Amino acid sequence: MSLSAPCIRPLAILKQAFRQCRAERQQLRSQRQYATAAETYPSLAPRFPPPSAGFRPSQAIKQNRTETGLTKIPVVPPPRSTRKACPDPIAQITTTQLKTLDPTGARTRLFSPTNPERAQVGDILLVRLKNSEPFSGLLLNIRQRHSSIDTAILLRNQLTRVGVEMWFKVFSPDVEGIEVVQRAAKRARRANLYYMRQPRHDIGSVEGVVKQYMRRTGGPMGGRDGRGAGRARGKKGGKGKR
Amino acid sequence: MPPKSTSKLFTLPPRFLCPAVPRNFIRTIRTIQPRQKTPLDRFNTGHGLPILGSSKTAAFLRKEPMMPLRTGALAIKKGMTAIYDPATSKRTACTVLQLDRCQVIGHKRRDAHGYWAVQVGSGTKEARNVTRPERGHFAAVGVPLKKDLMEFRVKNADGLPEIGSIISADLFQEGQFVDVRGKTRGMGFTGGMKRHGWAGQPASHGNSLAHRVMGSSGGGQGSGSRVHPGKSMPGRMGGEGHTVQCLKIMKVDKENGIVVVHGAVPGPKKSVLKIQDAIKKPWPEIDLSIGVSGMGSTSEKLEAAV
Repeated sequence: MSLSAPCIRPLAILKQAFRQCRAERQQLRSQRQYATAAETYPSLAPRFPPPSAGFRPSQAIKQNRTETGLTKIPVVPPPRSTRKACPDPIAQITTTQLKTLDPTGARTRLFSPTNPERAQVGDILLVRLKNSEPFSGLLLNIRQRHSSIDTAILLRNQLTRVGVEMWFKVFSPDVEGIEVVQRAAKRARRANLYYMRQPRHDIGSVEGVVKQYMRRTGGPMGGRDGRGAGRARGKKGGKGKR
Repeated sequence: MPPKSTSKLFTLPPRFLCPAVPRNFIRTIRTIQPRQKTPLDRFNTGHGLPILGSSKTAAFLRKEPMMPLRTGALAIKKGMTAIYDPATSKRTACTVLQLDRCQVIGHKRRDAHGYWAVQVGSGTKEARNVTRPERGHFAAVGVPLKKDLMEFRVKNADGLPEIGSIISADLFQEGQFVDVRGKTRGMGFTGGMKRHGWAGQPASHGNSLAHRVMGSSGGGQGSGSRVHPGKSMPGRMGGEGHTVQCLKIMKVDKENGIVVVHGAVPGPKKSVLKIQDAIKKPWPEIDLSIGVSGMGSTSEKLEAAV
């Protein structure tokens, strides 16, 4: 199939076009050394000035675009939002409660993750209770559910050669005080030391360690908490006489 | 159909003997009973008749004695926590709810709508996301746009606060009891064991591929060889309305819109709940205006907005 003369002739214009193009490209190449990218590619240059700082399209478009020519429906501004005033009500309730349950902030600090001196799993703790005998044991687990007010600790000990585990709510008014009797020699590599329940890992009774600690801190039930210590000392003394 | 009897033939002489005697008269029950004036009298209509039990009026009258006297509030579920009583050292699990821009949007009146109710809205929406008809609904009464709209039935017109009034958390008093309504978590399509608490089937003893199935769906010939209506089966669970009655209000914070109720309430966090006075407890003895504050002149607000 051969191209007829009238068909080829328009292609002759291309010669002129290519020449023009080549000249322009050479010119651009010479400019590129000095010009910025935006000038090099006019298609990339912004056609409209950029929006001013703080511009929000959501605020600019107040009504639907289809509403041109229709009566404007007034919109009453909303009242004050309590949700913005208090984005986290649970935290607010927790803080107000902690003011009465933990006025000094000692318990919060004892289990605060930012405190390097905090109680950690593997430590031996002594929990003084308001209405019953104090309980001591190895800290197996620190559990926090919902909010920090529900922080609880699991202590394991052996009483009369029977393994005993007790959960205590840290901020419960029943708990008078929590003391660290002995720190773990090495940081535990687990969050829950449930393997300590196995006979080959079980440390057994912590009674000896706690007794030694009490002797060191003064009195059989001595501690930082004067009131608790005095009351407990009386009890313990009576026991010793028997 | 008139009764046909052979003896009738002989009560009158034949027609060709005496043509003047009327022959179409047949003694039936209709000839004895009194004539009815209008055909309508066949029906049991008129004044002084008892109301039908299945009617709307009867339903209204039945519910009226236990309708709360005042409106409730819309709240958002924020989550659960615990409150300790320092005196008794008792820990109580509770749910934290928050009221946000809760406002009276409209009234439902007995004469116009058939019942008394307060339409309450909460939250807010951007105007450009709201259709014109909906914006018109709010603009007509001069209140802001609301994200959620719900109704609270009340006993009578005294329980309808002024339109535009802001409902605050102090609508509820500490120690008061409320009913909380909400939509439960949607579980999707669940099996019968989860949905209806069936026991399932044994794990072993020859059981094969039938550990959690429903088993038989009914009896055979004796009970009709069919599945009876209402047979509980696997299906969609949750995502339906649920009411928890008589929850005690533990704490109220008007400034932050916080209401803390005892125990659990339906639905996931961030869901919208209806709180209203408990119908099974005595109504709180407080003024109806407590917790509902006027918004001011609505027309003034509208003019300001325009």
